[in-house]
Amino acid sequence: MDFSWLSDPFYQGYLWEGFVNTLWLLLVSAVGGLLLAVGVALARLRGPRPLAWFTWAFTTVIRGTPLLVQLFFFYYGVGRLLEGVPGIRESVLWPLLRDPFFFGALTFILSVGAYSGEVIRGAMQSVPRGELEAGRAFGLSSFQVLIRLWLPRALQLCLPTLTGEMILLLKSIPLVSTIALMDLLQAANIIRDETFLVYEPLMLIAGIYLATTVVLTLMLRLVELNFPGMRPTRRRWLPISGSGA
Amino acid sequence: MTSSLNAAFPDRTTTAPAVVAHQLIKHFGDLEVLKGVSLEVAEGTVTSIIGASGSGKSTLLRCMNLLERPDQGELTIADEAIRFIRDPEGNITGLDRHQLQRLRAKVTMVFQQFNLWPHLTVLGNVIEAPMRVKGLSRRRATALGEHYLERVGMADRRDAYPAFLSGGQQQRVAIARALAMEPRLLLFDEPTSALDPERVNEVLGVIRGLADEGRTMLLVTHEMHFAREVSDQLVYLDQGRIAASGTPEAVFEDPRCSQFVAPAA
Ligand SMILES: Nc1ncnc2c1ncn2[C@@H]1O[C@H](COP(=O)(O)OP(=O)(O)O)[C@@H](O)[C@H]1O
Ligand SMILES: [Mg+2]
Repeated sequence: MDFSWLSDPFYQGYLWEGFVNTLWLLLVSAVGGLLLAVGVALARLRGPRPLAWFTWAFTTVIRGTPLLVQLFFFYYGVGRLLEGVPGIRESVLWPLLRDPFFFGALTFILSVGAYSGEVIRGAMQSVPRGELEAGRAFGLSSFQVLIRLWLPRALQLCLPTLTGEMILLLKSIPLVSTIALMDLLQAANIIRDETFLVYEPLMLIAGIYLATTVVLTLMLRLVELNFPGMRPTRRRWLPISGSGA
Repeated sequence: MTSSLNAAFPDRTTTAPAVVAHQLIKHFGDLEVLKGVSLEVAEGTVTSIIGASGSGKSTLLRCMNLLERPDQGELTIADEAIRFIRDPEGNITGLDRHQLQRLRAKVTMVFQQFNLWPHLTVLGNVIEAPMRVKGLSRRRATALGEHYLERVGMADRRDAYPAFLSGGQQQRVAIARALAMEPRLLLFDEPTSALDPERVNEVLGVIRGLADEGRTMLLVTHEMHFAREVSDQLVYLDQGRIAASGTPEAVFEDPRCSQFVAPAA
């Protein structure tokens, strides 16, 4: 085992950049993807017929094709197509459209949107009708019922599944090393090419992934446990004055 | 708090009924569930609806806050004639959304299955509609909520989540939730039918207290003794028609109803 390369500031720089990019991609894809997922679920449950149909087609295509193929499709296919659009090189969006990070994030957002969209849709359907009816019976508008009752309850029901989706997302991120994005795997590849060491860099990034997964799992577990309604009573983080207690 | 209590009975002196239903007809597909039901509930009185399972009791009750939309008939609730949208033949095809929202703030319901919102605390359940529908501030809604939780004996559990309460406790919270809107009319759909037998009395006790306060209530129940005791008016529904109605004594003695009532009485 030779880990002497670890003291090289260049390699440290690659690894750090790869780690930061991985976390950013995870965050952007998780937030964007979950927002899209709510939209997907709503469109399929309540959208007008054409929108519901389109969303179904979107979900089917995304879930029915390999993530790596989608990544190549967006980066090499759509990315190159866009390059041919007249005037696009002068547009403010151009730096974004050349950035592999943009295409990586786009691919993952769509993927999370499709998979988690189905999860959220299922959860929304399994919220007992009586709870929503009670909302209507007390005069809440359809929008209030959705925002205050239906979505939070659905989230409560599918939170463990969504947590699993996020862990899977984290471990899909090395795919972006194939589109020249400096993630952890790309850093390991560079180190391997320059030092001719195969196992050591891989073992190091495997360790980093494992540690990140454990931390992420613990954090999401904390979110699950503290989601309203999961414990017998509301937890008061701050002592609030007034009656009660 | 007394002021808000009084607000629950704004029309004690008037004699206008809280509900006037005239010739309600309701179908589910080909099934005619209500076959021309007329009903009046006087302000400050308790009316109980009894009848066999499937006779249309829940449907009738749910017409009173328009969770079910009748197909035909007239309805006046809390002094407001419901403005139904009708087709040329007089069949009801729609409702006035704004009126509906206003109505539902005045007529609240307690469900057989409680239907509390599990992601909100006990207090959160009680203040949700006063805040979002009536636009009360959180502070005022909380004061109101605490008052009514006190009233049903659940004030000490205000921060608990519904899943961690017994059925009887959940139903009492559901009653507090209905009271916190300070409604003109309270609807109860078999409020004790989903409870363990030993939990029934704590809920009936609360409802009896509300009857003694002079609240206007319409309730569907299978508790015959209780219905007889608290009701000013009893309505016996049989296959979508009112087979007998009047004082509890009169209805229980009515031969059309005696067969239904006898085993329980
Ligand atoms: N949403 C619905 N769709 C179709 N049929 C219904 C619906 N609600 C009730 N029914 C039918 O209407 C009849 C009366 O129901 P309901 O009013 O619940 O009776 P009750 O409360 O007296 O038991 C029953 O036959 C029931 O199956
Ligand atoms: Mg019923």
